[in-house]
Order: sequence, then structure tokens, then C-alpha cells
Amino acid sequence: MYNLTDQQIEFIRNDISARGVAMVSLQHDLLDHVCCVVEHGLEPDGDFEAFYSSSIRTFFKDELREIEQETITLLTFKHYYFMKKLMLFTGTVSTVALTAGLIFKFMHWPGAAILIFLGVILLSLVFLPLLFTLKVREKQNTKDKVIIGIGTLAGICISFSVLFKIMHWPFANMLGIIALGITVFIFLPFYFLSGIRNPETKVNTIVSSVLILYACSLLLVLIRSPKASMEVFAAETESVYRSERIFKEQEKLTSILVKSELPSDGKNILQACEELKTYLVQCETGIPEIRDSESTLITDGSAGEYLSRSPEIEKKLVALNSEIGRYNQSLSAKQQKVEGLSKLDDRRVSQAINDLIQAQMVILQNQSTIALNN
Amino acid sequence: MIFSSELIKGTLKTIVLKQLEANGRMYGYEITQRVKELTFDKIQITEGALYPTLHALEADGLVVTETEYIGKRIRKYYSLSPKGKTKIEEKLSEMAEFMETMKFLLDLKPI
Repeated sequence: MYNLTDQQIEFIRNDISARGVAMVSLQHDLLDHVCCVVEHGLEPDGDFEAFYSSSIRTFFKDELREIEQETITLLTFKHYYFMKKLMLFTGTVSTVALTAGLIFKFMHWPGAAILIFLGVILLSLVFLPLLFTLKVREKQNTKDKVIIGIGTLAGICISFSVLFKIMHWPFANMLGIIALGITVFIFLPFYFLSGIRNPETKVNTIVSSVLILYACSLLLVLIRSPKASMEVFAAETESVYRSERIFKEQEKLTSILVKSELPSDGKNILQACEELKTYLVQCETGIPEIRDSESTLITDGSAGEYLSRSPEIEKKLVALNSEIGRYNQSLSAKQQKVEGLSKLDDRRVSQAINDLIQAQMVILQNQSTIALNN
Repeated sequence: MIFSSELIKGTLKTIVLKQLEANGRMYGYEITQRVKELTFDKIQITEGALYPTLHALEADGLVVTETEYIGKRIRKYYSLSPKGKTKIEEKLSEMAEFMETMKFLLDLKPI
């Protein structure tokens, strides 16, 4: 029986971790095992190093790390059935939530957003990663694994981009373009070329590739091209600009026609609307007023986002709304009521500016009504 | 004759559990030596098969470990957990049935 010195034990310990065994409990097992082998197998005056290197060699085929890899495989296999069950469960739940969410959205019922959100999150953060993990285990060669990886990534990007789009969150378009790009230009060629070579998967591959291409094309058809967007924005800007000019004319006319002073609440409303308009135009275009519809463009930015940037402006909007309430109560039967502006933050910038102009127009017209009745 | 590791692979959990049942707590090297002795060297459990199996059994809750210092190194003793003690019966009867089926299937005559 050989007696191991502390240095020799330390040497074996270092050698085991240098050979890539990282799990501490496995290191302890192997260290004790090798020590036992050496103690029982080596003569008291034997050559430690030669004996050690020949005995550690019997532990593995190619590398000592194999033992750790095998351990990890066995440990993850234990979770295999659980993962499969979880995958099927989340798949079902997310499909149901998504379908219900879409129906709710069509019917304008409350809770649509949360259902769609839940569906997409479950699908892209639980179902797809699990599908990837389980599918990768089935495939032997690296190429198939990479294809599955790219496919999963593209799937996650697509579902997130649709989620972002319907929630009106930023970067939805960019995410969508990246997702479709990955699907059509990276995933599809790889998938198609690798699947078509195998006679067993040939038909399936062709059918799925056609379907994927078709689905991506349909998505692309729904997306407005940049040029079309510019045209829409130009038309909207033109409409806002026209309303503004009509209002300015009306303002001049009213001041000539009506000698009596505007009531103070009316004046306040005109003033506040003007400030909000200037603020929105400034945020959207960088200049305080639209000079013409060619040099400045109002895009489909959300008014709510701009309004929420400044607490002062938000306060002004609240004050404006209560002013409108007071103004409406003081009107005579023949005068028009001003539409409340409490929903302004749900509107797009162009719509919001039009709303403000309309409010101003109503005030001016009510003023004219007084003049006409006199 | 030494049995191939492929033959042993499917039965290793049962072999290990049975040894632990018979001998109480054991460490890895001891298990390999004991099996080797009992089978007159016919079954030689490799380290590459034994430790992954022991870790899997531990993760399944069938065995528990305790550690002891042997000089500068730690020795891990494995023993059956209460769950393992009930599981061993199941494993043994499964194995008996499997061997009967194999005898029938492969038409083996007793030697």
C-alpha cells in the first residue's frame, strides 16, 4: 500500500480541475477515487507519477471532462419530461390567451391588451426557448442545431415586433424588419437547403418553406412603405396647416365683426389651446409653427408621449379642460358647446392639433353668434 | 469474460442501489471494488459510468451523501434515502421480470 503525500493529493486535485472537471462534488468523488486506486495499486516504493498517469487514463475514452458532461446530461434528462409538459402547457395557454386577446380587441372589450401581452410573452419567452432546448437535443449535427437556434430567434423577434406594434411601443418597425430579415434571408435558405437534401424531409421542407415565405410576404404587404408613409404624413400636415389658416381667418373676421370683448374664460381657452398647439408642433417638427406642408412634416407620433414629457404642459391641459367645463355652462341655448379635450393624450399629434383648432373655432363662432343676435 | 459497458449501462442504477442496500453507506471506489469482487471481475464499473449515475440518483432523491475528511481529501459516502429504500424493491422486481422476458425472447437455455 502506497502512502500519498499532501503534495501528491494537491497535484491530483489540480490535475483533475485542469482536465476540465468543474463540478466541485464530482472533483471530490474523482479525487478520492484516484487516491484509492493509487493507494491500493501502487507498491510503497513505486513511481507515483507514472502510475497516476496510467490509472487516470483508464477513467475516460478521450478526456476526463466526459464524466462531467455525462453527469450534466443525466441531470438535465431528469428535467426532460417536466420541460416537455411545461412546453405543451405554455403552448396551449399562450394560444388560448392570444386568440381570446384578438377576439377581445376586435370587440373592444377591456383586457385585450393584457391577454395579448400574456400570450406573446409566454410564447416567446417560455414556449419557444423550451422548444429550442428540446429540439436541439434530438439533432446530432451542429448545422441542424444552428438552424433551430436561428429559427427560434426569428420567431421570438417576430412575435415581439407584433406585440410592440399593437401596443404602440417604440422600435416596433425596426424589430419587425430585423425579424423578417432573419427569417427570409438567413433562416429560410439554411432550412430549405439542408432539408431538401434529405429525401425523408424533402416534401415537408418545401411545404413549410412556402408557408413561411407566404406568411412573411403577407406581413410585408401590411407594412406601409416609407414612401407611402411620407405621402400620408404630407396629407395630414396639409390638413392641419389648412385648419390653422381657416382659424386665423376666422379670428380676423370675428375681431372685425364683434365689437364686444371675449369673455375671460373664452380668452383663456384660446390662449391655452394656442400654447398646447405650439408645444406639440415644436416637439414634432422642432419649430413652433407650421410654415407650409412641404418643409415641415407632422408624422404619426403620439400626442400623449409629447404631453407626458412636460409636467407643466400636462397641468395646463387639466386646467384647460376645467375651463372648458365652466365655459360650456355659461353658454346660451343658441351657442355651441366646446368639445372636452381630456382624451387628447390618446390622439396622434395631427389629430390633437386639429382638436385644439376646433375648440378655438367654436369659441370664435360662439362670439359671432352674439354679434349676429344683437 | 468481462461484460460490455453497453450491457451494464441500463442496469447500473439497480446494481448501485442494491449494493447500498446491502452494505449501508459506501464510497465510489468501494462500490466498484465490491461489484468486481462479487462478480469475479466480470462486471467492472467504470468511473465514467458510476459517478454520473450516483449524481443522477442523488438528484432524484434516491441516495443521500455525507462527507468525511480523509487527511487532505474529502470522501463522499453514499447511502439509500427513505425514498431509495422503497424504490429498490420496484427496481429489483422490474429487473427480475426483464430477465425472464429476455430469456424467453432470446430463447436462452440455462447454462
